Formats: sequence, C-alpha cells, structure tokens
Amino acid sequence: MTDALTPLAAEPTSTEEHLAAPIVKVLLTQIDGADLSAALAILARQVYEPIPEVVVVGESPDVLGEDLAWEENLEDAIADHGDGVDYFWILHSDARPRPDALSALVAEILRNDAALGGSKLLVAGSHEELESVGSATDVFGEPYTGLDEGEIDLQQYDVVREVAFVHSASMLVRRDLAQGLGGLDPLLPPIAAGLDFSQRTRLAGGRVVSIPSSEVYHQGRCNQRGRGWREQAGRLRAMLTGYSLLTLVWLIPYDFLVSVLDSLANLLFLRWRPAARHMVSFGWNFIHLPSTLGQRRRFSSVRVAGDEELFRFQTKGSVRLREIGSEFSSRVLSMFDDDQALARSSRRLWGSPGIWGAVLAVVIVTFGIRGLVFAGVPNIGFNFPFEAPSVALDRWLAGWNQSGLGSPATVHPSVGLTGLFSWIWLGAEGAARTVMTILAGVVAIGGLGRLGGRIGLRGPGRYLGGLVLIAGPGTALLTGEGSWLALMAAAVTPWAVRSAFVHPHDEAKSQFTRIGWALVLGIPVAAFSPLLVVLPLLTVIVWKVLGGRGSRIVPGFTVLVAGVVAVPFLLGDPGWLLDPSRRLGLTVAVMWPILIALAVAPLMIGNETTRRIGVLGALLSVGALAAVRVPYGGPGVEEGLLVVASFGAALLVAAGMDRLSMKPSQLMAAVASSAVLLLSVGVVGDGRLGLAPGDVNSQLAFAGALAGPEGAGRILIASTDMDDIPGEARSGPGFWYRVVDGEAITNDQAWLPDPLLGDQALDAALSRIAAGAELRPGEVLAPFAIDWIVLDGPMFRLDEVFLAQIDLIPTPLDPDSRVFENPSSVALAQGATDDVWRRDGAGFVGEPASGRVALALNHATGWQPESGSIEWWSSVSAVDGAASFAGSTLDQVLALISAALAASGLLLIATGRGRS
Amino acid sequence: MKYLGFVVVAGLAAVAALLPAPAALSPEPSVPEEVASVAVCAIEEGSGRTTAISVLSTVDGPVSLTLFAGGETTGSIGHETGSSGSITIPVVDVSAVGTVGGLVEMPVASSAAGALVSGAESMSSESCSSVAHPLTFLTGATTASGDTFQLHLMNPYAGEAVVELTVNSEAGNESNARFEAVIVPPRSSHIVDFTELVPGRETLSIVIETSRGRVISVGRQAAAGEIAIWQAVPPAQDWFIPIPGGQGRREVVVATPINADVEYQVDFYGPEGLEEGLLSGVMPARGRATIDVTELSDKPVALRIISTAPIVPTLWIESEEGLSVTTASPRGANRWLLPGAGVPAGGRATVVILNISIDDSTVTIRPLRRGTTVRTLTVGSDSLLELALEAADGYLIESVGETVVLWSGHRSQASVAAIGVPVSDE
Repeated sequence: MTDALTPLAAEPTSTEEHLAAPIVKVLLTQIDGADLSAALAILARQVYEPIPEVVVVGESPDVLGEDLAWEENLEDAIADHGDGVDYFWILHSDARPRPDALSALVAEILRNDAALGGSKLLVAGSHEELESVGSATDVFGEPYTGLDEGEIDLQQYDVVREVAFVHSASMLVRRDLAQGLGGLDPLLPPIAAGLDFSQRTRLAGGRVVSIPSSEVYHQGRCNQRGRGWREQAGRLRAMLTGYSLLTLVWLIPYDFLVSVLDSLANLLFLRWRPAARHMVSFGWNFIHLPSTLGQRRRFSSVRVAGDEELFRFQTKGSVRLREIGSEFSSRVLSMFDDDQALARSSRRLWGSPGIWGAVLAVVIVTFGIRGLVFAGVPNIGFNFPFEAPSVALDRWLAGWNQSGLGSPATVHPSVGLTGLFSWIWLGAEGAARTVMTILAGVVAIGGLGRLGGRIGLRGPGRYLGGLVLIAGPGTALLTGEGSWLALMAAAVTPWAVRSAFVHPHDEAKSQFTRIGWALVLGIPVAAFSPLLVVLPLLTVIVWKVLGGRGSRIVPGFTVLVAGVVAVPFLLGDPGWLLDPSRRLGLTVAVMWPILIALAVAPLMIGNETTRRIGVLGALLSVGALAAVRVPYGGPGVEEGLLVVASFGAALLVAAGMDRLSMKPSQLMAAVASSAVLLLSVGVVGDGRLGLAPGDVNSQLAFAGALAGPEGAGRILIASTDMDDIPGEARSGPGFWYRVVDGEAITNDQAWLPDPLLGDQALDAALSRIAAGAELRPGEVLAPFAIDWIVLDGPMFRLDEVFLAQIDLIPTPLDPDSRVFENPSSVALAQGATDDVWRRDGAGFVGEPASGRVALALNHATGWQPESGSIEWWSSVSAVDGAASFAGSTLDQVLALISAALAASGLLLIATGRGRS
Repeated sequence: MKYLGFVVVAGLAAVAALLPAPAALSPEPSVPEEVASVAVCAIEEGSGRTTAISVLSTVDGPVSLTLFAGGETTGSIGHETGSSGSITIPVVDVSAVGTVGGLVEMPVASSAAGALVSGAESMSSESCSSVAHPLTFLTGATTASGDTFQLHLMNPYAGEAVVELTVNSEAGNESNARFEAVIVPPRSSHIVDFTELVPGRETLSIVIETSRGRVISVGRQAAAGEIAIWQAVPPAQDWFIPIPGGQGRREVVVATPINADVEYQVDFYGPEGLEEGLLSGVMPARGRATIDVTELSDKPVALRIISTAPIVPTLWIESEEGLSVTTASPRGANRWLLPGAGVPAGGRATVVILNISIDDSTVTIRPLRRGTTVRTLTVGSDSLLELALEAADGYLIESVGETVVLWSGHRSQASVAAIGVPVSDE
C-alpha cells in the first residue's frame, strides 16, 4: 500500500535520459561540391544528446577538428568506429538536417523496432518541395518515389512506414547490423549503395522505415549523377547480390528485355545515352562478376528472409518503361493539352497494374497487323471485300442475294453492318474494311480488359487475354479458314458480355442505360456471328451458379433480343444453323482442352475472384470444345462454339495472369496461362491477325478484265480440296465447287443460300460433265452464265474430262490453277432482241423494250416488273428498262425492326444517362 | 462446391479430348464414268482417194460429222441413223479437205463409226476411235522398198496436245528431235512422215505418249498404190485376232513398248479346234516377233496371244489384191459393230467370228441397211467360222457367248481388213 505522503519515484533527470539514450556516431560522407564546413556547422546544432561524434568519410578534409575523425570509406568507418556505438547516422555532406532530425530518427527507430531509418528529404532552397519520403523500387531496383514533380510537403506523407529503400543522404542504421552486413558496398555509388544496403537489411531480417518527422534539406549534389551508368550498374549489382538464384533466372532476361525496350524508346526520343548506359552497366557487372559472387557468398550467411520480403515493397512493372510511357503520352497529349491535366492523369494511368498488359497486348497486335497495313486485307476463304454501301444495305434490306446463282433468301446480317460502316466511312468500303480489321485486335483487347475489370480483375492478364480471344484455339482455326466474321465476332463479344455485368460503382446507373448498351452491343454480335447472342446470358447464368455477383439477367436477355438482326438470314437459310454437312470441318487439337483444364487447376487454390473467373472461362471453353465435336448443327453453330472456346480461354488467361507473384499457385497459374497465351499469339505473328493469306479476287481478275460490254458473268470454281473454294462450297461428284461473281467476290457471297432449282440444275449438269459423257461442257454450263471454269488443287476428274472436250478453251491465265474459257456462255441478263442488260447495284438496267429480259438467276417472284420464269431462270418485262428485286414483306419488316432496335438502344442509353 | 467447377471442367475436357472429331467432310461419291458417244476418224480426201464415214448405232438417232483442221472447223453435217441404225456419210459431201480429222457425234454409246478410204487401186478401213488414250502403240510399219508410212495425230479437242514419240526399228531406238514434244494444236491434225525422217526401215514400232491434252493416232501405210490404215492402241497382255482364210501372206506382228524382255504364248484356233501354247517365245526389250499364219493354215484361223507384259499384235495381210492391216482385240464381247463392212463394188467380203466362250454360241448377223435379212448361226466353243457378207453400211453381230469379230473385203487391186468394235451398253 502506498502512503499518500510517500514521495513519488523521481522522474528521470535529463542526465539519466542521456545515459539511456543510444549512442550515435555520424558518418558524414563527402559529396563532390558540397560544403563540408557548413555541413559540420549544421550538425553541431543537433539537439540530440549525447552529442554524436562525427567521422568524415571520403577524401581527407582540409580542416579536421580535434573532435573529428576521418576515414577513407564507409566500410572502414563502420568497422573502426563501432565501439560503444548503438547507431550510425550516415549523412551526406550536401544534406542539411533540421536540429531535431537525429533525435526524430532515433526515437522512431526505437519505437518501430526498425533496423534502418531514413529521413524525409526536402529540396534545399525550395519552398518545402519534397525529394524523398522513402522510396519503393521496381524489381530491378529502379527507385520510384511516387511523388509528382515539384510536389510540396503538406505533411501528406507524414507517417512512419516501411519502405523498400531509404535515401542514403540521411539514414540511421543499427551498428550491429551495419557491421554484420559488412557495411556499404565500396564499389557502389551512394544511391545504389543505399539501395543495396536497404535490401540486404531487409533480407537480414531488419525493418527499413521512412521517418518523415526527421526532415533534411538536401542539396541533391549526389543525385546529379544518379542516373549515370555507375548508379545503373550499381543497381544491377545490388540485384545480383540480393536476389535468390531462382529469381535471377527470370529477372536477368527480363531486365535485359526492359533495357532493350528502354534503349529503343529513348532512341526514338533522340537520346542515345540510355542505350550506352545499359551496355556499360552490363559490361561493368560482367567484369566485376567475381567480386559480386564473393559479395553474395558473404551475405548468404546472414540472410534470413526470402525474396518475397523485397517484392512486398516493390511496384509492379518497370519504372523505366513507365516513365517512357508517361513521357510518350505527355508528348502526344501536350499537342492538345496545354495545361498538362491529361498528362498528369496519364501518369496515374501508367501506374495502373493492368496498363502494361494492355500496352504489351497492343504492341503484339500492332505487330500482328503489319501485313494488313502494308499489304491490305486478304481476299480468301470467307474474307472478301465489302460491296458499295448502297448495294450492301439494299441486299440487307431484303434485297437480292447474289451468292451462287442467286436467291431471295436474305444475305448474312454482317452485310448490313459492313454497309453501314462503309457508309459512315464516306463510302470508301475498302478503307472501311481495313480499318475494321485493324481495329478488331484493339477492340478485342479493350473489350476483354474492360470485361475483366468489371468482374474483378486488375492485373495485366485481362488485356493479354484479348490476344487469346482473337487468336485462341477456336478463333485461330476460323481465321485460318479466312473467316473475317469470326475475328469481328470475337472482338465485339466481350463488350456484349460486359453489358450483362455491373460494376459495384455503377449500381446506381439507370437500367435504361444497361439495356441500351446491351442492345447496341448485341446487334454487332448478332450481325457477325448470330449464335453468339446466347453467350452473354449463358455467361451470366454460369457466373451466378459459380456464386459470382454483379451479373444481370435482363441485359443478357436483351442481347438475345438483338439477335433479331439475324432472323431474316436464319429463316432464309436454316441450313446454316442446322445442316452439319455444311460445316467447315474444323477440328481443334486435343491438347487444348487438356491445357485449359491444367491451366485452371492452380487457380483453385488462389483467391476467390480469379478462381471463379478462371472456372467460368474454362467451363465455357472446354464446354464449347466438347460441343463442337458433336456432329449436330451447321456452320453457324460451329463458328459460334469455336469463338466461345476462345472467349473462355481468354477469360482463363486473364484470371491466371492477374496476379504475378512467386507464390507457387499464382506462379503455376501464370505459367499455364502463359502457355495458352504463347500458343495463341503465335498465330498473329503472321501479320494478318491469323487471317488466311491470299487474294482470290486478284487471281480471278481476268474475268472482269476480259469481260464484254455486258460485264462479267460467273466463274465456276472446283477442287477436291474444300479449302480451295472461296466461301462456302457445294458438294459435287468427287469434288467441291461453287459459282462466284466474275466481277469480284464480295462479302455477301461468302455463304451460299439453300439450293433452288437453278442450283439443282447446275448440280445435275456437273454430274453429267464429270461422268465424261459431255463433249461440249461449255454448252451445258452456258445457261448458268458461267464464263470461266477454274480447276484448283490437285488434278481430278474434271481435268481429265476437260482434256477431251471441244468447247472450253484452256487459257493459261493463272499459274496455280487450270482456267477454261467458255465462249458459249450467255449474259446474266439477256433481252429478247439480243439486247444485253448490265448490272446496276443489285439489279439490272438496259434499253426499254416491249419484250422480256431473261435473268440467269434462280427464279424468284420478287423480280419486277412482271415477274416470270423460264425453267429455273427469272424473267422480267423490259418495258421499264430496269429490273429490280424486292424481298418478302416479312424480311423487310424484320430488317426495319433491327434498325429500330439499334435506334432504341441509343435512345435508351441517352435517356438513362439523363436520369443518372 | 469450391472444387465442383473444376471437376466439371476436367470432365468436359476429357469429353472434348476423347470424343472423336466429326468425320472429315468429303464431296459426294464420283459418278460412274461414261464414254462420250463420239469417235474420231482419220480422213483422206484427194490423190484419187475419198473417205466415207460409216456410222452404226443400236438406236435411231442424230449423227453429225465435223471436220477439223488448222484450229478450225472446216465443215459439219448432220444426219439421222434412221430405222436401220446406220448411215454412211461421204466426206466429200461435207468439205474437200485433204488429210484431216473428223469428229463423229453419235446418238448413244452403243454406236460405232468407221472410216472407209477408197481409191481406184486402194481401199482401207478402220474403226474410228472413241477414246483418246494417253499412251498408245503402233507396230508393223515400214519405210523400206519405197513404201511410205505416216503417223496421223488428230486433236479434235479444245486444248493443245503435246506428244512424245518413241520410235524403234531394226536399227534400235531412233533418235530425232522431231519425235520430241510434237505439238498438235487444238482442232488440228499433225502428220509425222516417217518416210522422210527414218527412211529405209523394215520395221517400225512407235510409242505415242501424250504429255498434255489428248490425241488419237492412226498409222497410214502406203505400198504400191495401196494403203492401209490402222489405229494406235493401248498395249495389253491378252489379245484375240481372227484371221480370214485365203491367198497371200498373213502375218501377225507382235511388238512390245516395254523396255524389257517379254515372254509370250500363242494359242491357235484352227480347223481342228483350239491348240493352246502352239507357239511361245521371248521378245527382246522394245522388240517384236512375227507369227507367220500362212505357214499354219490357209483356212480362217484365230490367235490368242498372252504375254507377261503389255504388247500389241497387228494383223498384216498382203495379197495380190493389196495390203490390209488391223490391230487385234483385247477383249471379247456379245455385240459387235462392223462399220463399213459390206461387199465393195465388184468385190467380196467376209466376216470371221471367233467364239471364245466355253459353250457353243448362237450368233445373229444383222446387216445394217434397210430391207436386208438377218442370219442366225451357231458357232462352236473355241471355234470360228467365216461367212460372206452382202452390201451394207455395216454389220451388227450379236451372240450369246462372247465372240471376237473381224471383217475383210476385197476387190480388184484393193483389200481391207478391220477388227470389229465391241458395243457398250446404251
């Protein structure tokens, strides 16, 4: 029990305080050009007691007081002056600490149980401009302060925190640690030495903290050579000393790659020194490799932590590349952005973890489109030029389908969209096509990145996954067959899927906006690959089953509604959806489903978000790959499933590469996803985004060039290899064939509508010819307006037959195929008095006359005026001097509904935004 | 639940990996090959000779003859075979053209055409070829003793043809640049005159190999004003040749285009019936052998020649009346057309029918001319008979068992012999 009168224990006197306070010795490092006397004078004002002794390090000072010691280097200073000392305050002679700087350092180090502490550095002579409050680094040791240029100290960083690295201008280090680590590396310049020392401190189990309450004004003379080759070489040596061998295996090639990119980028900015610095830096380290290895050996005995301890305080990506990117965007933006507001935003942008994935993906795509830029878009397979916008829109609006021998069935819905895009592009359909193709890659990358972001991904994988989307297991097969539509569909699909997901920040947004976007984004999906309108809803359902949040059923259904765009086409050609014999016969390699299953496995022990997204992607991908092997459904089903397979694989890659770290599960996920990515991107290396090369139109240009005044008729192309046939092929007796427009094959001709009477007649005629019973095959083919016959691929039955016929003239117009001219062919539109009509848009025009005009087109009642038929031909009255086609009312209404849906979507977006 | 997704993924991946890919797409099956109802005939007009084209068919249908030369059609004419199924078209009614090719379009595949070339002192007949084979062979020709021999290459088709000739004689392989890459333009003929290129050769054998396009080839041998025309045919290993009886020298020249020794065996159908393996021997590479039938019998006989590699036998008949040459037949058939067969003015004609079936066969001999009578006979197994023919455009010989048929005709200072044309089904 304590008596009230009992005196309280006495408060420690200041002398006692001094006795308990740690003993500090100042190691004042001389910096070229810095005033040593001034530095000593400032030091004398320190309020810390016991007053620290000062050891001058560096060249022998001119004036050395009695209480001053001198050492040539820091290592000796630490070794020789450690007796009775608790801490060393390593201070540059260009630093001007406030009087309480040391006491703050000591106090905070003790309070935080840290081994190494650094002061807040302010730029000497400025109005409190911040220089450093402790730095992060990237994995290569490049310092990253996180400060804006000229940022003023408003105490915004005044909190003690662990950092990767403290500036060696003012740092307090525990004496035992300094001696245990062997001091600073004498071969390193000041900043690199500080970095190296900080890293080794952390790996030895010490904490490194930034202590903002210790303020030091720094003249920055030591920084003047901070980006010189010595510092760079020093950082590389610090890496070699600190990191484990496993890390170095991937880090050194990565550093080399970054150095090359940094050098090249700087050369673009007309700076040659960075390239030279990189070379000298690598050279210096090569020369000093034995010494570095010695340093590693010595350090290994005190190392207690793994590299993860360093990774914790490092920024993602490369600081050097980030600066280059920032400078590039600043330069570009400065053209439009006088006050640099955008440029400042761009700096934040470059700090985003996903941005380098996006940059890398865009760089790869840019590399992947070089052939398209320089040589144009190929014309082969299912990839053909657009028609003039007016003609394309006419065909889409229930106009005449000229594919094959023609049909009243509506053209593929993409024809309308390409017509619209060409119209927007001022009628330059060639340029529109090139732009659409080139943009496809970027749209896919952006789409998957945005989708990934919406469902919780933040890393670079969500953008890199876009490459898998356009070049993954399914899409690559389709584009390899020349399916331009598959590329387009893959590009727009993630945007449509994204419309069915809601970001938590956007919960307040109007439902109108979501539905509007779902409609607007669903229409291109339906136009490019109609079956894919199911995907958003399917994704939402699977996502919900997997326990995901943020998805909405209604927008998913809305995308389904956008599928009305494709209804006229599907009604006119149901076989495209249902007939398995019309498939392209594409088979995905067996390794893909296995690889995808392997890639998702590591994600199962990862975090919930990436696991869920990975499983979603894998389910979609392998599900589609399994379904495509079931022999049901036509080419539309095949196309849709293959794009879904790539979409799923892309999501999987996005999840697998979302977090790059050395944790085994994440490392395995990243490696497996990288394998999927690498196997995919090889396809785009051809410079055409994987589109099959070739130009059939150029190969067949003779038909147009040699045509008479009535214009080119048709070309019959036959081969035993289905791939030789442009667009869809029909099965003939022992070979594949189709007829194409002799003027040019355009995108509306890619698919052949269901056969009509003319097609059956042609099939029968070809069977007779192939039997060898026809001496005059030209006469037999003449009613089909076939001017030319082209036999492609290996020699086959028709070659043999055409050796013994008398009216098809072999013409050596193409070295790669056998070409026969048919002089007896009739014109596409033939008047009764031998008046030849010529094409005009999707119809024909000629001299008005009293008779009739015979059209070598499958008979359809929509041809006007006064529609009639001659066997399978159509015929019209010549009285108007024009023949035109009007499709069924149902098709016209459906087309108008599609246009109305698009307009409604835009209106809903506008309305929704207004409400928000 | 956490791992259920992965289990489903693994299951679907297994399904995707194990499920067989849909069967590769393939076009419809090829249609059966048909032979076009056309024939190409060697035509000679001028030099005192004229050609008549005899067209026989099992149906009444349209027939056209188109003459081609120099890349163009020089004349064309259309007819109907009529109820008799026959028509003879004098070429002079179409155009006066010289030595050209003629394309005959016939109503059905069961038709045949033959060219009968006749002059004051010459007569020859050979069926027109309906199929242009890529490799054919012709043997027995000579350019010695003032005889002339020409190879007539005909290309009635729309594409250019290129032909390589390999010529062998008693001197060995004949080398001449004009035998290489012989171009026969479309709708044209090309005559290779061996009398100029390799004069003085007793025996010539010619392989005609078409490297591009198609050609039909016939040999035209002239000796002392008489001519003989015969087709180049693809070599085979089994041949039948009926031979009419009579005076003169009758030889079967057998040659091979193969560059290796070839063993052969001759079965003899004589008055005593079949005598298998009567003769046998070995032909040297690209060599030939001659079977002197005159020594065996002066009666109508027949030979079957079997070899270990492809050969071509050709029948040569030299008599006071003239020279006749025709090739053997590689097959038997139940129906034969003999275009042009019939008694020439002031002469006589016979048909030799060889029954190669194992049973006796009833044979119907139908002259194709309005109002003529049909004869029906029985020919014993492995035996033959020779019958006189009457005037007609040609003959249709039908039999129960398989037969091989040859006709021959004679008149003053001219003779002809031609193997029949087996008839395909309609």
